[in-house]
Amino acid sequence: MINSILKYGLAIILLILFQILVLNNIQFSGFVNPYVYIMIILLIPSVTPAWLVLIVSFLTGLSIDLFSGSPGMHASATLIAGFARPLVLRIISPRDGYESGSSLSMAAYGFRWFITYAATIVLIHHTTLFFLEVFRFTDFFRTIFRILMSSLFTLCFILLIEYYRKRR
Amino acid sequence: MRNLLNFLLKYINLIVFLILEGIALYWLTNGNSYHNSTVVRAVQGVTRGLDERINNVSTYLNLREINSDLASENSELKNRLEKLNQKGDPDFITVDDSLFRQQFQYTSARVINNSVNKQKNYFTLDKGSLQGIKVDMAVTNGKDAVGVIVGCSGNFSVAISLLNLDFRLSARLRSNGYFGSLSWDGRNYRYAVLNEVPQHISVNVGDTIETTGFSAVFPEGIELGRVSDLKKSGSDFYKITVELFADFKKLQYVNVIGNLKRTERLELENQFQ
Repeated sequence: MINSILKYGLAIILLILFQILVLNNIQFSGFVNPYVYIMIILLIPSVTPAWLVLIVSFLTGLSIDLFSGSPGMHASATLIAGFARPLVLRIISPRDGYESGSSLSMAAYGFRWFITYAATIVLIHHTTLFFLEVFRFTDFFRTIFRILMSSLFTLCFILLIEYYRKRR
Repeated sequence: MRNLLNFLLKYINLIVFLILEGIALYWLTNGNSYHNSTVVRAVQGVTRGLDERINNVSTYLNLREINSDLASENSELKNRLEKLNQKGDPDFITVDDSLFRQQFQYTSARVINNSVNKQKNYFTLDKGSLQGIKVDMAVTNGKDAVGVIVGCSGNFSVAISLLNLDFRLSARLRSNGYFGSLSWDGRNYRYAVLNEVPQHISVNVGDTIETTGFSAVFPEGIELGRVSDLKKSGSDFYKITVELFADFKKLQYVNVIGNLKRTERLELENQFQ
């Protein structure tokens, strides 16, 4: 228990640092802004109570907000992703349900399950985030395009990290 | 009481969600004035320090280019000085008052945090109120306008970038002086849009766009970009696409311009509004 909390805490710090030190500094064409820190919400063990998930998502978004100078955008988007998480998990639950001991990883539940799970959460998060960023509905389809492109890249990063974790 | 507790327990997730989301959205809608609360300011002090470290590395890698930019600017200034010296007439008395007729003062600063990929971009400079930077000063990159200071702390200041949906700038065509309003449409960081130029005048692709000085922020005649495309929309105005001279992706050293007569001018103008 303590061990897994420590491991998870380390993962949170590493992902946030990766986001603010590397990804926030990549300025690629304005259409592709991967926000890989959302993986923190993906990896929270399934036994965690929902209110704790919400608090973790809020704090994650808050720290990203403070480091990228955007007021409350990431906090509210991550919070919505965290709120949708139990719902998504219930809808796509595998036949035997979730084992209480294991983490929500590709190694435990397979590639197809993981990519459905990750893609849904990433899309929810990015949609909220990008619409909060422009805060208007003009150029609707361009925002949609930005959401799709960025989600794709975020997903690629998440899958890479996940493959690396699986191999170990 | 017991019912109330049961109710709270049952909906604890929804309640936590609504409270936290409320906080986040409240911050989002009131956060445009950039730093308002002391907590945010304290944390941003730390993050600015980090930004500066990261920037130190990337600046070092670009030293060659910065050097050549500075050298070319230097030689241009020397040329200008040469011209001024020739005009000097020994019969006139020289005035040593540094404020005599001086309207603008310049200082240089380094960009330590910048972005071009958001819809509302800001950049951070490594000088603040202790170095004389004030809100509403203009920021230029050599010859081209890039932004306006919107907030200062002791040693840092934040400028709203031209690449921000909320940014408007009064700009005109150098060839005939017709002015309009320049803004960014959020698409490409190399292009901005000039609106409100009437259709009865002739505009050519390649015409230079410059600032007007109407806002008392930018001096008159600072270059912005050149016309790259123009469309006649249904209304009476052109929609002119402007290719910006400043490359916001490699913004490193900028000039901050303060208007010494700004207060005087605004006071006078306010009497009539």
